[in-house]
Amino acid sequence: MLVAGFAVGCSMVSPPYQQPSTPAGDGRPEAAARAPSSASSSGSAQPGQPPPQPAREYKLGPASAALVSQAHTQAAAGNPDLAAATIERALRIEPANPLLWIELGAVHQGAGHYAQADSMAHKALQLAAGDPRAEASAWLLVAESLRARGRTAEASEADARAHALGAR
Amino acid sequence: MKLRRLIIASLLLFLGAAALYVLRLDLLVTRQFEGRRWTLPAQVYAAPLELYAGLPLSSADLERELRRLKYRRADQLARPGTYRRSGDVIEVSLRAARFADELRAAQLLTIDTDHDAISRLRDGTGHEVPLARFEPMLIGSIFPIHGEDRIIVTPAEVPPLLPAALKAVEDRNFDTHHGIDPLAILRALWVDARAGQIEQGGSTLTQQLVKSYFLTPRRTAARKVREAIMALLLEAHFSKTDLMNAYINEIHLGQDGDRAIHGFGLASEFYFGKPLAELDLSEIATLVAVVRGPSYYDPRRHADRALKRRDLVLKLMADQGIVPAADARHAQAQPLNVTARAAGAYFPAYLDLVRRTLRRDYREQDLTETGLKVFTNLDPRVQSMAERTLDRELARLDRVHKQRGAPLQGAVVVTAPQSGDVIAVVGGRDAGFDGFDRALDARRPIGSLVKPFIYLAALETGRYNAATIIDDAPVSIRLAPNKLWQPENFTHQTYGPVPLVRALAESLNLATVNLGMGVGLDTVARSLKRFGLEEEPTRNPALLLGALDLTPLDVAQLYTGLANGGFRTTLRAVRAVISSDDKPLKAFPVDVQPVAQSDAVYEVDRMLQEVMERGTGRPARAVLPQGFTVAGKSGTSSDLRDSWFAGFSGSDLAVVWIGYDDDRVTGFTGTSGALDIWSHLMASIGGTAWSTPLPESLQEITIDYPTGLKAQTGCSDDLVSVPVPPGTDPVLKPGCPGAAVPGVGTAQSLLDRAGKWLHDLTH
Repeated sequence: MLVAGFAVGCSMVSPPYQQPSTPAGDGRPEAAARAPSSASSSGSAQPGQPPPQPAREYKLGPASAALVSQAHTQAAAGNPDLAAATIERALRIEPANPLLWIELGAVHQGAGHYAQADSMAHKALQLAAGDPRAEASAWLLVAESLRARGRTAEASEADARAHALGAR
Repeated sequence: MKLRRLIIASLLLFLGAAALYVLRLDLLVTRQFEGRRWTLPAQVYAAPLELYAGLPLSSADLERELRRLKYRRADQLARPGTYRRSGDVIEVSLRAARFADELRAAQLLTIDTDHDAISRLRDGTGHEVPLARFEPMLIGSIFPIHGEDRIIVTPAEVPPLLPAALKAVEDRNFDTHHGIDPLAILRALWVDARAGQIEQGGSTLTQQLVKSYFLTPRRTAARKVREAIMALLLEAHFSKTDLMNAYINEIHLGQDGDRAIHGFGLASEFYFGKPLAELDLSEIATLVAVVRGPSYYDPRRHADRALKRRDLVLKLMADQGIVPAADARHAQAQPLNVTARAAGAYFPAYLDLVRRTLRRDYREQDLTETGLKVFTNLDPRVQSMAERTLDRELARLDRVHKQRGAPLQGAVVVTAPQSGDVIAVVGGRDAGFDGFDRALDARRPIGSLVKPFIYLAALETGRYNAATIIDDAPVSIRLAPNKLWQPENFTHQTYGPVPLVRALAESLNLATVNLGMGVGLDTVARSLKRFGLEEEPTRNPALLLGALDLTPLDVAQLYTGLANGGFRTTLRAVRAVISSDDKPLKAFPVDVQPVAQSDAVYEVDRMLQEVMERGTGRPARAVLPQGFTVAGKSGTSSDLRDSWFAGFSGSDLAVVWIGYDDDRVTGFTGTSGALDIWSHLMASIGGTAWSTPLPESLQEITIDYPTGLKAQTGCSDDLVSVPVPPGTDPVLKPGCPGAAVPGVGTAQSLLDRAGKWLHDLTH
């Protein structure tokens, strides 16, 4: 739930996502946006440093945000299957939004599907490159899923990564 | 005296026997009627269309989707199933609908569009809503072989004109008789005698119901008697309302191959593609016309006969005061209006996949009898695009390479790679025909489609990157003491030292075999297994050139992992199953599992984009919109028997196979055959461009595409940008700034680099 809260915290205000990202200049998608991000938010940032300036920030579109909040209600009512199905509806709208993969992973974590939660957190990490807030939530989810499986040392490492990226 | 007693005794005996007989029939009749009256095949639904602001659908697109669901355009939004369009605004009276996760009541929805996208949604009270959805389209049902298919309707779902019309035409005294109608029988005999043929049956609706329940169509006197007794018994036990409802759900109204169309609920979908409640007078009369002889009055095959009888039905209705004469005349002026082909069961290849998925969890009987509702991921829009594109392009290719024998065949699978949703499956030409399902059952050698997995295995060793030079030089491998394998490039040339990116883009066989042998067949086989092959392939060097027989669906599973960044994503046709009383039974959640290093997959995906920019996929650029980044790979089996193309955008993945069923030579490579279908399909689907962020562990460098030497604008006229691990620093192309200026202090480092280059070259 902590993870879910963090992800939803940075949502709600964006334009719709569906439009194809038109590649700039060299025909490669978002080459311009990527270049600074790889420099500023490398995973090895030290704790104590100010969080790096986000090169991009994922948000949920209004439709996804509505579905995610519906899913939270369903999960809270003890219906994780329904909650997962609801977030999957949002994923069909924004398949490449890491926040939704974190949400889906959190539902699976809550339902005790720890390995699936871990996979989804890693899927989110792949999509979130360059968005430290999203990366941090994904690492928190990784940590949770590792801890649930008794892998505490690795969990602490994941936690440290999350905090280095600015997670509270 | 004795005789009289004998007569009485035999009479009593006869009466006793008759009573027993009637009692037995009574038991039979009540059991049939009260017990499980109908077996209900599972109903299968497509994915519902989700609507939200920003969805790139114009008002014309939306109207097309509404028509697909058989919504009628109307001036007034009188009842569910209608819509009104004025310019960029569409108002819809949505039907009540069952979704996998929700039962939704009928409601109003207003959709504003702006520049070919939805800009706003409002509910019936005018409040803005973030999203809404059209109901899922019924795409078929799972009925037993040679079995009855039906959709049960309740009396509330039946338009009142239907029972009225049935009575007018089939059984005028239905409301008053006790199961049989002697007057009607006499009338029928008289009409028969006069006309010399049967125009009016003497059977009551109740008798017809009995006949449909229990009896073979053979007409013997004994059967007539039995039928009459059973009709009387039914009437004694049950109300007219129950009997009429049973009739409406029971009666045979058409045939669709092995599938028997029963009941007016399904017949309405089958002939008109919409719910029974929405039929107009002419359509109701058409269905009533069909009752008399579903094959003789088949409105698709014998439109003239059906039309004539429909008009007769309308006339009878008017004569008996059921509808005003003017309405009947107006309806008689209408065309039959049946859909070109039956809705439902016309995506046989997709339904095939649904059936196979469900058989893992359900017994055949559960599927065909218990009324399950199955919600699938089929996207009707993409499915019909895939069918149309395949038909059109195959017809064109048939003209290019005219051959005797059966025509060229093909198959298409489309998935949403991030979730693993299978959104379209085409099993062959004439997709409506339920025949050999090539998408699921045609196992064919995949040729060069295997190559990305070899390159991926190479990158994962850490010894190679996209700029690494490999040698496209003759290969000779001893398979057996006296068996030498000497593959060649498609062009029968060799290309010498080339960077990985070019070897993959141009599908160079020799470079690939050298690379694969360097990486090891074991590693390659394991990589394929991880991406979803059921068994590890045989470790034969020919595997490196695609000596591996797979179905289009298998290939879609493998490539979905590449499209999803190295996460194997279980393909799923079914989303959820719920019971006939709406209880959730089974969900098929998204299932992802990391199976490869995501950096390596990113590099492969980028190289697959160069296939489209410079290599064997290049012709697609002329078809695809500018800036629509896609990745893909062609495949051709030996002697040009199979032509493949597999590739993906950011939102969709498509696999196309074409070839002959008897494995004849097609004369097409992956590029000249399957690619055309693939690129036209991807262009019509639209979707989003591929755009995965550059992993933090990689950096972009530019190299000279032909040679793989480091270069920049001004010193190479064929630059390509490739993502590589930091520290990768290819030798600078001669003539590029900073390159070998003799006598300067960089000589040592240049030598180092040259040494590394040579080292790479020998690998």
